[in-house]
Amino acid sequence: MARPTSFGKDTGLQIRMTVTMFLLGLVYVVLIVALLAAGANGVTVAIIAAGLAAFQLFGSDKLALRAMGAREVTPAEAPELHAMIERLCIQADLPKPKVAVADTRMPNAFAIGRSPKSATVCATTGIMELLPPAELEGVMAHELTHVANRDVLVMTLAGFFATIAAYVVQFGFLFGGGHGDDDDNPSAMVLFLVSIVVYVVSFLLMQSLSRYREFAADRGAALITGRPSALASALTRISSGMSRIPQRDLRASSELSAFYFFPPGVGKAVGGLFATHPPMEKRIAALERLEMQLQGTA
Amino acid sequence: MGLFDILTGKRKVKPQAESRLFAMATAAVTLEMSLELKSSGKAAIVFQPLATADFTSIVTDMEEVLRGAGEDTGTGVEKTDDSFGYRWMVLSDEDFEDLVVGINVISQALQDGGYGERVLCAVFAFRDPQDQPVYWIYNYKRGTYYPFVPAGGDQRRDTERELRLKAQIGNELPVEAELERWFPLWGIPI
Repeated sequence: MARPTSFGKDTGLQIRMTVTMFLLGLVYVVLIVALLAAGANGVTVAIIAAGLAAFQLFGSDKLALRAMGAREVTPAEAPELHAMIERLCIQADLPKPKVAVADTRMPNAFAIGRSPKSATVCATTGIMELLPPAELEGVMAHELTHVANRDVLVMTLAGFFATIAAYVVQFGFLFGGGHGDDDDNPSAMVLFLVSIVVYVVSFLLMQSLSRYREFAADRGAALITGRPSALASALTRISSGMSRIPQRDLRASSELSAFYFFPPGVGKAVGGLFATHPPMEKRIAALERLEMQLQGTA
Repeated sequence: MGLFDILTGKRKVKPQAESRLFAMATAAVTLEMSLELKSSGKAAIVFQPLATADFTSIVTDMEEVLRGAGEDTGTGVEKTDDSFGYRWMVLSDEDFEDLVVGINVISQALQDGGYGERVLCAVFAFRDPQDQPVYWIYNYKRGTYYPFVPAGGDQRRDTERELRLKAQIGNELPVEAELERWFPLWGIPI
C-alpha cells in the first residue's frame, strides 16, 4: 500500500502566488517607466531606496532581535529547543540556524535572516510554556520553512519598489518643487500620481503575497513534521492565548509582524485585504485538507 | 531548491540520497583494527512515525519481517519512542554486517512504502577501549556519515575527538563535509 501522492500539493496556491507576483512586477514596471521619465530625481530616489533595502537585508537582523528583547541561546541553555530544531533541520535538509529566545509571555515565534546560513529562529518563553512539544515542533517547522523559502529576502525585494514609491509620495513635492517656481513640471507631477497608485496597489498585493507565503510555510511545516493537525492545534491554542495579552506588548512589537508566526492583535484585524497573515480559520482549514491528503481521504 | 521554487514558496521534503549506508560494513573493520573502536553490538534507525493507517501497517509488516529474519541471523529487535516523538528501532547482533543489513531492511521498507523521507538517521554504536561510547550517525537525506562523541556531563560533545575520527577514517566513509550539519543526538539509547 503506497502513500497518497497528493500530500502537500496545492496548485491553486501556487497559481495565486505567481499571479500576485506577476501583478506586482507589472505595477513596478509602470513605476520604473515613470521614474525614468522624471529623470534625475527619480534615479536619486531609487538609489536611496536601494541603500535602505540593502541595510534592511544585511543589518536589520540584530536590530529586530533587540527590538523583540530576544537573545541567542546556547544548547546548554535551551537543550530541548535546540534538539528539536536540529532534528527538524535534518528532515528539512537545512543548516542549523541560530536559536534565540525572547522573554515575553506573548506566545509567538519568528524567523529572520536573508539566507538559511545567516538565519535566526526565535521563540518566546510564552509559546514554549503554552504548547506541548509536538505542537511547538510544528511552529518551529513553520519558521524553518520561512527560512528555507527565503521569505525575508522575497518580501524585502518585493517591497523594494513599493518603498521607492512611498518615498516619492512623501517627498514628491520637495523633488518636484526643487527647480524653483515652475510648479507645473509635468513629469514630476505624473511621477507623483503614479507613485501614489503604485504604492496603494503594491501595498495590497504585498499583503496578499505575505498571506500566501504564510500558507506555504504552514504547508512546508506539515510536510517536514508529517503532522498537520499538530500545527492546527497549535494555532487554536495560540489564538485563544493571544487575546489575554495586554495591549502594550502588542503595539511595541508591531513592526515585525510580517514574519511572525501569529500576528499580534489579530483579534482586531481590519479587513482581510490588509492583513499580513491569513485568518486563523483559513489556515486551519488548509491544514485540515493536508491531514486528509495524508490520511488518503481527500 | 531552484529560483522558481523560492518564488512560489514551494516546499518538498528532501527524499533520501543515494544510499551509502553499506560503506559502514567495511569501515567497521578499520575502526576496530586501527582505531580500537569495537561495535557495541547495537545499531538503531530513527524515524517519525506517522499517524496514518498505511504507515502503521508498513511498520507492522516490517517488524514481522525483521523478527522472522532475526530467527535465522540472531538479530534482536526493540523499539522505543523518545520524548521528541521519534521512533527508535534498535537492532542488536554481534555480527556487525547483520546490523547494517537489518538497518537497510527497515529503511528500504519505509522507502518502498513511500515514506523514505520520514527517516531521520541511522546510528551505529561503538565503544573505545575505555568503554566510552562513540557513535557514527548516517544522514539519509545527504547520504553521509558523521561521528558523534558525547563527552559526558550536560550535553557536551568531544569535538576534537570527532574531528580526529574524521581524519582517521579518511576515505573509507563518506563523511559529511559541512561541520554545521554534524547534528548531535542526545540520549542515544544504545
